[in-house]
Amino acid sequence: MQRITRREFVKRTAVAGAMLTSFPAILEACNSSPTTSNKPSKLTIAAVQGAEDGPLKKVAPMYQSQTGITMEVVEFPYDQLFEKLVTTFQANGSSYDLCMMDDPWMPKFGTMGALQPLDSNFGFTRDSDIPSIVYDVGTWPPPKGPVPPSEQGKSQHLYGITIVGNVEMFMYRKDMVTTAPASWDDVLANAQKFNKSNFYGYVIRGKATNPASSDSLPILWSFGGDIFDTSWKVTLDSTASIDAITFLTQTLKKYAEPGAANTDAADRDRLISIGQALQSTTWPAEVTGVVEAQGVSQVIGKMAYIPIPKGPSGKGIGMMGNWLLGIPKGSKNGSAAADFIKWLIKSDNMKTYVQNGGIPTRTSLLNDATLGQTNPYFPALAQSLAAGPNWRPRTDQWNAVETIYGTAVNQAVAGLKSPKDALTAAADQIRSAMKQAGYPS
Amino acid sequence: MRVVKKVGGRRLSRQERQAYLILLPAVGIVFVIVTIPFVLVVMQSFSADDGSWVGFRNFSRALGNPLLYDAIRATGVYTLIVLPIEILVGLGFALLVHRTVRRPGLRAAIYVLAILPLVVPPVAIGVVARLIYAPSYGVLNVILERLGLIHQEIDWLGTPTLAMLSVASVDVWQWTPFVYLVLFSGLQTVPRESVEAAQIDGVTWWTQFLYIDLFYLRPLFLLILFFRLADVLRVFDHIFILTGGGPGTSTQLLSLYMYRVEFKFFDMGQAAALAVVVLVSFSVIYTLISRFLPLERA
Repeated sequence: MQRITRREFVKRTAVAGAMLTSFPAILEACNSSPTTSNKPSKLTIAAVQGAEDGPLKKVAPMYQSQTGITMEVVEFPYDQLFEKLVTTFQANGSSYDLCMMDDPWMPKFGTMGALQPLDSNFGFTRDSDIPSIVYDVGTWPPPKGPVPPSEQGKSQHLYGITIVGNVEMFMYRKDMVTTAPASWDDVLANAQKFNKSNFYGYVIRGKATNPASSDSLPILWSFGGDIFDTSWKVTLDSTASIDAITFLTQTLKKYAEPGAANTDAADRDRLISIGQALQSTTWPAEVTGVVEAQGVSQVIGKMAYIPIPKGPSGKGIGMMGNWLLGIPKGSKNGSAAADFIKWLIKSDNMKTYVQNGGIPTRTSLLNDATLGQTNPYFPALAQSLAAGPNWRPRTDQWNAVETIYGTAVNQAVAGLKSPKDALTAAADQIRSAMKQAGYPS
Repeated sequence: MRVVKKVGGRRLSRQERQAYLILLPAVGIVFVIVTIPFVLVVMQSFSADDGSWVGFRNFSRALGNPLLYDAIRATGVYTLIVLPIEILVGLGFALLVHRTVRRPGLRAAIYVLAILPLVVPPVAIGVVARLIYAPSYGVLNVILERLGLIHQEIDWLGTPTLAMLSVASVDVWQWTPFVYLVLFSGLQTVPRESVEAAQIDGVTWWTQFLYIDLFYLRPLFLLILFFRLADVLRVFDHIFILTGGGPGTSTQLLSLYMYRVEFKFFDMGQAAALAVVVLVSFSVIYTLISRFLPLERA
C-alpha cells in the first residue's frame, strides 16, 4: 500500500470535501433550466404573518392537490417581510417565487426594478369584475398622481395583483347611533353625545409612526390636506392639513380613550369589542379578526361599517392598504408563479378564498348577499373601492415620509407639540429627505 | 525541505508555528464574520447608494440630523436611569444573600430564579410589559386602582417621562439579576480569613463592605459597566414593542434610531456613518474603562 505524506493527505481530504459539499449544488445546477416554462416541484411564497396570509395558507394546499406543485408559505412579521424582500431583491435572490407586498411598498420595489411584469411577461389583463383602482395600485410607474422623477418616462406595467382588498373604513355602534355619520362633524357630534366615564366617543390609533399615519391620513385627505401636491411639493404644513390634524388630535381627542398616543390596532379593537367605545376607523382584518369574531367580541351584530365620512372638502376619502402578490425578478419559476396567481383570482377560487377568511377584490363577491351575512363590511368595502380611495404617495421614500409624519401626529396626539408645530417641523424634515432623494421640494 | 520563517529577525520555533496554525481557523472565522463586515460598513459610510465615493458627506448628514441628538439624549437618560439602579439593587441583593442565606439549596433556588429573566427573549418581555403598562387594560393601573392609590388611569406609555421610566423598568427587571449573579460570585472569592479577622476586630457590616468586600468587587463593577453599556446600546426589542420610540421621539434610543435610518429611510450611507461614529465613540469609552480593568486579580 502506497504511503502518502501528511501534506498530501490534507490536500486530498480538502479536494474530496469540496467535491462532496458542492455535489448537491452541481446537481441543482444541472436540474435548473434557464427558461421559466418548466413545471417546478415547489413554489415558495414570502408572506406576511397574520390575518392577511391566513386564507392564502388555507387555499394553497388546494392548488397543490390540483397541480402537484408544493406550495411553501414562508411567513415574516410585517417589518421583517419588507426588510427581507428589499435585501433579497438587492441581491437578485431566487429564494422566493412569489411575494406578498403591502401596496405602499410598490414604489420601492418598482423603482428597484425588483419584480417581473405580469402583463407583458405572463399575459395578465384587467377583469371588469375587479375595480380598476386595484390594478392601478399594482402598476408601476403609477397611472395617476405624481410620478417619482427617476421613474418619469418609463413604460407602465402591472407588477402586482391584489389578493387582500383592504381599504380603510369607518365603524360605529349602530345600536346607539341610529343614523350613519355622513361627515366628520357628525362623528364629533356623536362622540360628544355618547362619551361618558369608561365609554369613549372615539378611538384614536395614535401610536408613533405607521399606526398614527394610517389612522390620520383619511382625515387629512377628507379635510383637503395632503402630504404632497401633484408635483411633489410638501403641503403638510398647509392650512387644510393643520386643520385636519388639529381636528383629530385636539377636537376629537377630547372624547377619545386615555393613552391614545400609545394605542395601536389591537388596543382599538379591544376597546370596541368589549363595548367601551363608540366609533373609529378600521381595516377589514380588524373586523373579521376581532370585532365580529365569535367568542372574542361582545358587539357582534352591533357594529355598522361605512366608507370614510366626508370632511370639509366635501369628500370622504378612504385609504388603500391592499396586499398584492408579485413575482420577484430573481425567481426561476415565473410562469408557474403567474399560473398560481391566475388560479387564485378566478371567481370560484376567490370565493373559496373568501369563505376561508379572505378579503376579495371582485365586486360580484363583495356584493354577494350570502358572503355579506358573514362579512358585514363587504358593502362598505365595495363602496369604498368604487369611490376610488387614495393610495399612500407613490414614492420610494414613503417609509421615511411615513416615519416622520407618523411621529409628528403622535407628538400632537400626546400633546408634546401643537399640531401646527408638529406638522411644520415634519414638513421641513420631509422636504429635506425628498430633496436628498432627488425630488423637487 | 524544512521551511523556516523569520519574525522580526528571529526564526519561529516549531511550537510557535504550530500555535499559529492552531489559531488560524479561529482568526479566520473572526476575520470573516467581524472584520469583513466592518470593512464593508466603513466603505459604505464613504459611499453613495450607487457605490460612488462621497467623502465625509454621509458623516456630515448623520451628525447634522437633529434626531441623532434626540436619540443620544434618550440613550443617555436611559443609561443614567438603568445602570445605577441595576448596580445598586444587584449589589444589595448579592450582599443580602451572601450574608444571610446559608442553605445551599436556597442559594441554588435563588440562582435559578436570577437566571430566568436573562434567558427570556426580549420580545416576550416586551409583550408582557405592554400588558402591564398598556392604556385602558394594563394590569398596573388596575392594581393601583383596586388598592385605592389612583382614581384615574395613569398614561404610562403616553407621556415622555413615564414612558422612559416604563421602558427603563423593563431593563431593570431583566438585567438586575445579571448584576446580582456577577457580584454574588465575586463575594464568594473574598477570603474568609480577612472577614473573620475583621469581625474579631469588631468592624461594622458597612466597614467590612467598604474595606474588604468592595476591594474584591471593584474589578467586577467595571466588568458590569463594560457589558451593560454594550447592552444599553443594543436595547431594541422591548422599546419597539412598548412605545415604538414614542411619544414623539422621547424613547427612541440610538439602536432604534439607527434601525429606522437603515430600514425605514433606507439611507444606507447615513446608517453606515452612524455605525462607524458609534463604534469609534464606544471604542474610546471602552479603552478608558479597560485601563481600569486589571487583567489578573491580585
